[in-house]
Amino acid sequence: MNAEPKTCSATTEADPVSETTTVPMWLITLALVLLFLGAWVFDLRGGWFEPKVYGPYTSVADAGRFQPPPPDGPDVKRGKVLFEQNCALCHGNDGMGKPNQAPPLAGSEWVLATGVNRLIRIPLVGLNGPIKVNGQDWNLQMAAMGAQYSDDQLSDLLSYIRSAWGNKASPVTPEQVKKVRDDLKGRSQAYTVDELMKLPE
Amino acid sequence: MTATSPIPQQHIDCSCRLPLFALFGGAAVWLALSSVFGLVASLKFHAPAMFANCACLSYGRAFPASQLLLVYGFCIPAGLGVGLWLLARLGRVELAKPFLITLGAKLWHLGVLTGFIAILAGENTGHEWLEMPRYASVILFLGFLLMAVWAFVTHTRRSEPALYPSQWFILAALFWFPWIFSSATLLLQCFPVRGMTQAAVAWWFAGNLLNVWLPLVGLAATFYFLPKLAERPLQSHYLALFVFLTLIVAGTSTGIPAGAALPAWMPALSGGAKLLMLVPALALAAVVVLTLRGSTAPCGGGPLCFTKFGAWSLVIATVLLALTACPAISRVTDFTWFSHGRNALVLYGFFAMTMFAAMYFILPRLAGEGSVCPHRVRAQFWLSMLGTLLFAFSLVIGGVLQGLKLVNPAIPFLDVAKSSLMPFRISTLGEALLLVGNLLFLFNVGFALATYYRARCRRVFTDATATLEPAGVKS
Repeated sequence: MNAEPKTCSATTEADPVSETTTVPMWLITLALVLLFLGAWVFDLRGGWFEPKVYGPYTSVADAGRFQPPPPDGPDVKRGKVLFEQNCALCHGNDGMGKPNQAPPLAGSEWVLATGVNRLIRIPLVGLNGPIKVNGQDWNLQMAAMGAQYSDDQLSDLLSYIRSAWGNKASPVTPEQVKKVRDDLKGRSQAYTVDELMKLPE
Repeated sequence: MTATSPIPQQHIDCSCRLPLFALFGGAAVWLALSSVFGLVASLKFHAPAMFANCACLSYGRAFPASQLLLVYGFCIPAGLGVGLWLLARLGRVELAKPFLITLGAKLWHLGVLTGFIAILAGENTGHEWLEMPRYASVILFLGFLLMAVWAFVTHTRRSEPALYPSQWFILAALFWFPWIFSSATLLLQCFPVRGMTQAAVAWWFAGNLLNVWLPLVGLAATFYFLPKLAERPLQSHYLALFVFLTLIVAGTSTGIPAGAALPAWMPALSGGAKLLMLVPALALAAVVVLTLRGSTAPCGGGPLCFTKFGAWSLVIATVLLALTACPAISRVTDFTWFSHGRNALVLYGFFAMTMFAAMYFILPRLAGEGSVCPHRVRAQFWLSMLGTLLFAFSLVIGGVLQGLKLVNPAIPFLDVAKSSLMPFRISTLGEALLLVGNLLFLFNVGFALATYYRARCRRVFTDATATLEPAGVKS
């Protein structure tokens, strides 16, 4: 009745059977001990699912302890980064300025002034019209390039330009920036040199 | 025959023939081809200029191609074939829709071929164990679904309601693979996640495939063939269930290496899971020891030898995995040849050996007595065993030595690289032995298939050319 060739074994084989002996106690104990150890290892090294913690650190506080401490006062390194991203296109990485774009900052009497009241206003609202820098006349427009920055960032940036390229002037504190920003009372019109000169240094 | 009488085993085996021939035949071809490419990749360490003008034989293509053929070409079809046979045999039911399963097998092999050609042509996705491009993955996925659906239907139609441990393992594997494969393909190739998350997904997938899927299918075969061939009852039902549960619970999160540049909880969780893998490893060792105790069945290089070697390989490989849970050890072994050697121990030592045993057991029942020659099986056992030991352990030991030198800043990197050449020489020798063993396996499978078809042709020929007896019409 079966058309297939007689190749499939005609004798019926028994399938293996399984005993119903219980799992040995030592295995269950071992499983529990290893589960405990595994949980312990996770507790020690896992940082409890905190996505900011990477090995070999085990918690945010642990990783934080190995970060360099923030400098006292303004951070000129951060200021350098901000300067190079935002100002260096016109003023140059070397602070020497570029013809028909922006006057130099290195050695500039505006940057190195003892009081920073006038300096802080320039990035906050901009500066238009003729200006004399290092004995040379310039007549350009600068937009409010620094208005986007916080008091901390602007103080870092200004402290950088007052200390880079041979400049040696005191750093600008965030409090000074805040005081000037409050004094501007939302002014957005750019200053002229005449206006700046009327203000105290 | 009445409806209540059990289906004869002969009919069950015959219903499996067509799909299993398709799966096993293809698997044997891919395995031999994988060894050829593996050997080419391995020889590159000794003669980098060899085949230098042929882009498709460069290391970056030959090695992934050999991995693809080994995992997707050999392991998965062989495992599915054995799983289908076990589901039918243990459920005492004929395979449902053998023709559609055969179609699924052909589709799967087409997917492997597509991926293989794509990798040789340079279309590598760059994710380890998922190197084939998206279109090949889709073909593979559809092929798997076609086979898995009818495997599950076969199981639901079973006439034997009581479940044997092997059936849990296979059923879990039928669902596990589509889950991990579709998740990984969707997250890496269809809607790629960003940055390091890709590495996490790829590691998760590879860990699941290597530490869950392959052990599930391989152990299904071990728990059937070990007691069957040793002529002893399986010790025991509950211990096998214990292996099953601890394996899938711990194994699924073992994929992330300890030194991965991921948030610390991922490697830490993986470390805990790797430690827990000791439990299924020791439980498996207990099953093997207790089942074989008092067995007098001769081993003699036959399927029982393959099965025993496979089970012990998995125990050793899993203990090696658990050792890397210790940070002091993983600091040395991470990102060295250690993990490659361990993978080889799982793929060749455990999975391939167990599948060889199962196929050498099943083939004579499908293709006829005498279609598998015991001498050639014994020869293949020795070749594969020696090849696996040389290949896997030289890389494991070489990886540890390499790691010990890498963590020492006084040793220049080039010296470390040069000093791992000796383990490579031994592993290349092992791969050469594996190639010979795999060619012998291809010959054995081909011979069994040829024996069957020759017998069938002869029958048709005899029927067609039989001298016609007079029909008894009286003149």
